[in-house]
Amino acid sequence: MNPALSRRALLTGAAGGAALLALAGCTSAVGAQNSGTAKKGGTFLGGISTDLVPANFFTNSNAGVTTIIGLVYESLIHYPVDRLRPEPRLAKDWTISPDGRTVTLHLRDDVTFHTGRPFTSADVAFSLRTYADPKWNGQLKSTAQAITSIDARDPHTAVLHLAHPLGNILDLLEIVPIVDEKTFAGVGDGSRYVGTGPFVFEKWSPNSRLKFAKNPKYWVPGRPYLDAVDIAVITDTTSLTSQLRSGQIDYAYGSSFLDIERLEKSGKFDTIQLRGAETQVYVGTNVTAEGLADVRVRQAIAHALDRDRVIAEVFRGSGYTANLPWPKTSPAYDAQLNASYGRDVAKAKSLLAAYGKPVPTLKYSYIAKDPLLAATAQIVQANLKEIGITVALDPLDPPTFVAQLIGGKFPGLWTAYHSWAQYTPSTLTVSAYPFNALKNSSHYTSAAYTRDADAAWRQVAGDSVEARKAYTALSRDLLDGLFLIEIGVIEGRWAVSDRVRNVAYTKRSELVLTDAQLTA
Amino acid sequence: MTSYLLRRLPSLAAVLAVSSVLVFGLIRLVPGDPATTLAGANATPDAVAAIRHQLGLDQPLLTQYLRWLGDLLTFDPGRSYIIGGGIGSLVGDALGNTLLLTGTALLLAVLSALLLGPLWAGTRRRWLEHLLTGVNTLAIAIPTFVLGVALALVFGVLVPVLPAGGVPRDGLLADPSITAQYLLLPAVCLGLPVGAVLTRYLAESLRTELAKPYVVTALAAGVARRRLLFRHALRNVLPTSLTVLGLQTGALLGGAVLVEFTFSWPGLGLLIERAVTGRDYPVVQVLLMLSVTVFAVLQLLTDAAHALLDPRIRLGGAR
Repeated sequence: MNPALSRRALLTGAAGGAALLALAGCTSAVGAQNSGTAKKGGTFLGGISTDLVPANFFTNSNAGVTTIIGLVYESLIHYPVDRLRPEPRLAKDWTISPDGRTVTLHLRDDVTFHTGRPFTSADVAFSLRTYADPKWNGQLKSTAQAITSIDARDPHTAVLHLAHPLGNILDLLEIVPIVDEKTFAGVGDGSRYVGTGPFVFEKWSPNSRLKFAKNPKYWVPGRPYLDAVDIAVITDTTSLTSQLRSGQIDYAYGSSFLDIERLEKSGKFDTIQLRGAETQVYVGTNVTAEGLADVRVRQAIAHALDRDRVIAEVFRGSGYTANLPWPKTSPAYDAQLNASYGRDVAKAKSLLAAYGKPVPTLKYSYIAKDPLLAATAQIVQANLKEIGITVALDPLDPPTFVAQLIGGKFPGLWTAYHSWAQYTPSTLTVSAYPFNALKNSSHYTSAAYTRDADAAWRQVAGDSVEARKAYTALSRDLLDGLFLIEIGVIEGRWAVSDRVRNVAYTKRSELVLTDAQLTA
Repeated sequence: MTSYLLRRLPSLAAVLAVSSVLVFGLIRLVPGDPATTLAGANATPDAVAAIRHQLGLDQPLLTQYLRWLGDLLTFDPGRSYIIGGGIGSLVGDALGNTLLLTGTALLLAVLSALLLGPLWAGTRRRWLEHLLTGVNTLAIAIPTFVLGVALALVFGVLVPVLPAGGVPRDGLLADPSITAQYLLLPAVCLGLPVGAVLTRYLAESLRTELAKPYVVTALAAGVARRRLLFRHALRNVLPTSLTVLGLQTGALLGGAVLVEFTFSWPGLGLLIERAVTGRDYPVVQVLLMLSVTVFAVLQLLTDAAHALLDPRIRLGGAR
């Protein structure tokens, strides 16, 4: 051994370590913030688990898109999250003609885009026409396409002429963000987002972050309070939660239900329950598959499901069981109908006995990457085993799953989420492909369902007595056909630190920070 | 040396040509495509078809391949279907971040190997040898994703002295001291197993070298052991260690995928994860080709370094 060598090596190591520590000690990147009363100004730091996909601008399908739309853009009207009662936003007021075929919107005259250009009825026309373009795949595309013409001669009045009455026309006006025609090309590649909202888009760095600055000319006096918003893209949900716990961020969209539960118990974090912006988890069936073609087998499956267990264990109680897609805030919600298929193993077995033939092993597909769907699938598998149906789990990656869903290629069962039931009920049946009456993933067809879905859509007013009757007929069709077996209504959760106040959301889970404040 | 490199170029070109066909074909064998990813779970088949047409995915495969090859040869890799921006800038930004991360990790790995390898080989203290053996084995055995989560949890959450992940809000160039803090945990996570392998290899090679007759003779003649270790033994084992370093650099680039995901470091690893998940064909193709090219060039450079250090190789090749 050579002691001199060891000493030197150790000294060199110590010096190197000291240098690293000195470098690391210059200015801390983990700055602590004070708690206290709300203040004006400051930068809101958040984290989301899914990055922006520019082509999905109108599809409301990922946190990147919903963050941008919530901060930068505004729509013509606004629904409070807990009900479908429209409130003015860029439109001051509106009227729908008695025949339901003309909608007249009176627009605010004090609104400008972030470029300084005044907002006019021509922007309404451009936004609605763009939304109707198939290449943008807007969820309410069919409703937008039913607008035959838009009269924008008066800059502050827009008149929409409809092909037929649209019970969900106000949903469309609530959902479509008003975009700036002059800069819209930048939306396609994620380089430019110009709206009328409280924050101005600054920059998107793919896989890294989204940056926004306060809109100093926002039409709502005194708002927003924040100077800037900085949203980091943190695709690993464990890392997302760690960064929230360490104080690097104050808001997390994408942490697991379990992590959020733990954060809440620590007393340093609050939970924002996305009530009114619900999604649903369901078991889909291919009604042409052997066994599943008989509705009694589908009814047996519906009775076998332990929905309470799924909601309690998988979604940590953040939701409630359902037999129909409608959340409790929906005009179509009917508590009695919603309890049609309670867990009843004996009844399920008797339905299978009435079917009289063995049900072959059913392939059961789900997105493997989603631990919630994987856990749900395992519970459903155990439930079906109880009544004698064997299920072979078929975990898939997201594109493969979506390709099979859209192509109607699932051989047996599948589990997924759907949305849009929190709006006017007809929005679900004309917008979500699994519910499409003419062509859907289940290969289900029914003259009654097609007729009732169309009747619900063509209502003059989406909340009238006639409309509610139409929704009841639609609910009965869904329960009778049972091509999609609902498990429950899920309310998403966001976690925020106790350093932020008044973080809000829309019915599409868009981040709203107009009234948000940091604490001093 | 130049003629040695020129002789290796045709095989490099052949590797790249075959790789381009494989890269283009393999990603298309995977179920799902960018159109279904973009359309989402609520889209109709008509909408998917419209998107597929817009992206040119309904054209014959040969047409798509030739168009892509033409783009590559004209240094225009095209645009991402999913992310939307130009692939050149996307890959450029991500590559810069990955090079910074892997470069730092490699530096840490090499420094630790040069420090600990000779120490391990030269020490006669049993406790130090046992300690180094134990730590080295642990560093090699612990999976990267476990180490990453543990580092983030300990230094990011429990004792919050370093960021648990991400990059500085004002960019990597704004404040080097802040950047260093963001860089430290992912670089240690990435570099630790590589450093451990290099250290072990170097220590073993040095022990073998130190047992050779010329060392014994030199020691008997009164040459200092430290001088022998650094002037002769280390110099003799460095060429073979370079081969290990070359292979480990390849492994380092592979490991960066996991580390970048764990620490939300926006490099090539995150980019390729997102591109593969979204079936973003143009990005996947460019990244895989880039990966093949980098690996092939690294091997070429390693061989060149060998030839430079050992004249028998380059002269043998010339005959």
